[in-house]
Amino acid sequence: MHVIKNGTIYTMKDSSPFKGDILISDDGKIKAIGTDLGTTDAEITDAEEKTVIPGFVDAHSHIGGVWMESEDLNEMSNPVTPEMDSYYGIDPKDKQFETAVSCGITTSCLIPGSGNVIGGWGIVLKSSGDSFKDRLLKHPVCLKAATGINPKGVYSGRNQLPMTRMGIAFLLRDYLRRVKEYMEKKEKYRDEPDKMPPYDLGLEHGIPVIEKKIPLKVHTYMHDMVTVVDIAREFDILVTIDHAQGASDFYDDLCDPHVKGVIFGPISAGLFPGEGGKIDFECCKGLHDRGVKVTVMTDGPVTPENLLIYQAGEAVRKGMDPVDALGMITKTASEIILCDDRVGTLEEGKDADIQIYDALPTLYTSAVLEKIWINGKEVNIK
Amino acid sequence: MLIKNGRIHDGKGNVFQSDILVQDGMIQKIAPGIEADDSEIIDAEGKEILPGFIQALSAWGINGSATEIRPSANDNDETSDPVTPHLDVRYAFNGRAATVQQLGAFGLCVIGVTPTDNNLFGGTMAVFEVDGVNPYKMCVKPYAGMKASVCKRMKDIYGKRNTAPMTKMWIFEQLQEQFRQAKEYKVEDGKERNMKLEALRRVLDKELPLFLSIDNEQDALHAFEILKPYDIDLVLCNAYDIHADSAWILENNIPLIVRSSSMTMDDNAMKLDLKGIAELYEKGLDVALSGVDSSFQIREDVLWLGIAMMKILKDEKKVLPMMTSIPAKLLGVGDVTGSIEEGKRADLVIWSADPLETYQAEIITTYMGGKAIYRKGDELRCM
Repeated sequence: MHVIKNGTIYTMKDSSPFKGDILISDDGKIKAIGTDLGTTDAEITDAEEKTVIPGFVDAHSHIGGVWMESEDLNEMSNPVTPEMDSYYGIDPKDKQFETAVSCGITTSCLIPGSGNVIGGWGIVLKSSGDSFKDRLLKHPVCLKAATGINPKGVYSGRNQLPMTRMGIAFLLRDYLRRVKEYMEKKEKYRDEPDKMPPYDLGLEHGIPVIEKKIPLKVHTYMHDMVTVVDIAREFDILVTIDHAQGASDFYDDLCDPHVKGVIFGPISAGLFPGEGGKIDFECCKGLHDRGVKVTVMTDGPVTPENLLIYQAGEAVRKGMDPVDALGMITKTASEIILCDDRVGTLEEGKDADIQIYDALPTLYTSAVLEKIWINGKEVNIK
Repeated sequence: MLIKNGRIHDGKGNVFQSDILVQDGMIQKIAPGIEADDSEIIDAEGKEILPGFIQALSAWGINGSATEIRPSANDNDETSDPVTPHLDVRYAFNGRAATVQQLGAFGLCVIGVTPTDNNLFGGTMAVFEVDGVNPYKMCVKPYAGMKASVCKRMKDIYGKRNTAPMTKMWIFEQLQEQFRQAKEYKVEDGKERNMKLEALRRVLDKELPLFLSIDNEQDALHAFEILKPYDIDLVLCNAYDIHADSAWILENNIPLIVRSSSMTMDDNAMKLDLKGIAELYEKGLDVALSGVDSSFQIREDVLWLGIAMMKILKDEKKVLPMMTSIPAKLLGVGDVTGSIEEGKRADLVIWSADPLETYQAEIITTYMGGKAIYRKGDELRCM
């Protein structure tokens, strides 16, 4: 047992902080949270004058699967590869997870890259733990898709479909149609094995999307996000709008029950012509105010892990309340990646993923991470 | 223009409340209670006034594949030859391509623009304003330095063509050889002039500091040894792998320009030790914070690096000079800009709060040479 005493605790379940204690049980869960918790047999961490918050959740990342020319998350041999699974593309011992810990990120949604229109399943992994299986929170958590210049850029060079946004939209819709028909046939011929459609792993991976159990996670910028929402309505599926630069142009469309969340960022460039041509941190507040779940991402290792907090800070500069900004990268991110039963807030029964800072990190630029626990175990900050 | 009652952070470690009188784009007078009947009065009560940030090494205003209708090289990246000290980055700079980025909205007024790290000698650097059309009118200082590099990136480019440099051996051999030839070089009647050596001569004559990009400390040590026989001004760019115990850097007082770590997928960038560099800085070494100079430069880079430094030094008075007066000094424009002092350009930014202390700080107005180039509420442009 371990107790964090007298910290200023932002549970993120409630928006205002309180001064109190958190009791961590030996199984790595939060056993109790409140004031003056009995601590006779517990090891004590004094958090007097410190800020205690949940571990950060990065809702879009590729760490452990991509480093320079080494690429295990982008199977660009075919533009539609739903049968791929990030589970097999991640090295859980990669040093990038240590970097993530040092930036306060305890949980990441790790997904295929954006070279393909359909890239494969994503998973959710803790940054530290005893084994890959122990660290695995959700598998699958989404089916990754991509629109715009990335798939276009890959296949244009080969004179293969999709060379255009028309081609991308066709492939997306065609895949979803095939999954639906596959499901219908499977249902219809449930009792006639000889008429059953042959097993198709790629189509199988689409079933939880059609069943709305997991969202289609779509790499999308600017006007492509309207295309994605349109397709989500057509097939009645959930989507997340990832990257989302230019979201402030499309608030009406994004306020749609098919949009599970918007995952903004990373800001890794100046303005470019085309889809990188609008950078609007103000959309974080704009979407939040309209009731759309919004968070920011690192896209690690494409941009470094410390960009999560800087980007939350930029949302604050563009008018967001600092506690709401903290909510973006904890509670809201955990909801968007379907892990809010385990992480994202400090509550009894949830995983003890806890950080201690010397000040509120989404407000004070000089705030430093001092201690961090994942599944109740303190992890060394590099 | 008279800016009243702002809290001035002068960029040299001082913070005080005062008025600023600006005339003809210059800071005429700094004093409390200035009266000037014919001036536009700007009330800065409760506001923080900082010098414009200066990104020492950048590629703003540089066109290339990302911004033009045909695939082509970036205009600061003449990789037809690894030795191009005779090229001048002023000819690469497109005023509108810089202006469209609205760097004033990010607190920048003046930028160093540089050839890339992809050549041993890339050419001369220059300092520009961030807003304008005509590059020559925007140019604050031509010939701010000679850009050089011993970085691995060079091998990746030339080596793949099976041409030199394929190894660091060639890079350092040529670093020696080019300076040896430049030293011996004489303009003689009837003999073809060598523009490359003439350009390097300007480094040897201390007209131009040498801005040398490195991957690691050993690169810096090799270069230092090679350059030792010559009395030149050396600035180390990137500062990867430089640590608190790199005492020789302190002893020889070699300034550092820290490149942002936004290029994380670079094993050398991962060796950036900001804590160690902060220690050297506290012992008196000049350190400037800069962004990268690739297409993927971030407009927030200088501020975000400043924030990273705040997490170490915890003192805004110490961090701000690394983003203002020190880069100005290294680029040779320290007498013109980079601090809020009488006689300097009015490159200043009025913030609602101190951006090195809180994320809630917003820019009220950015003045570049006394001209408002960004005001709170201006729409950020889209391409």
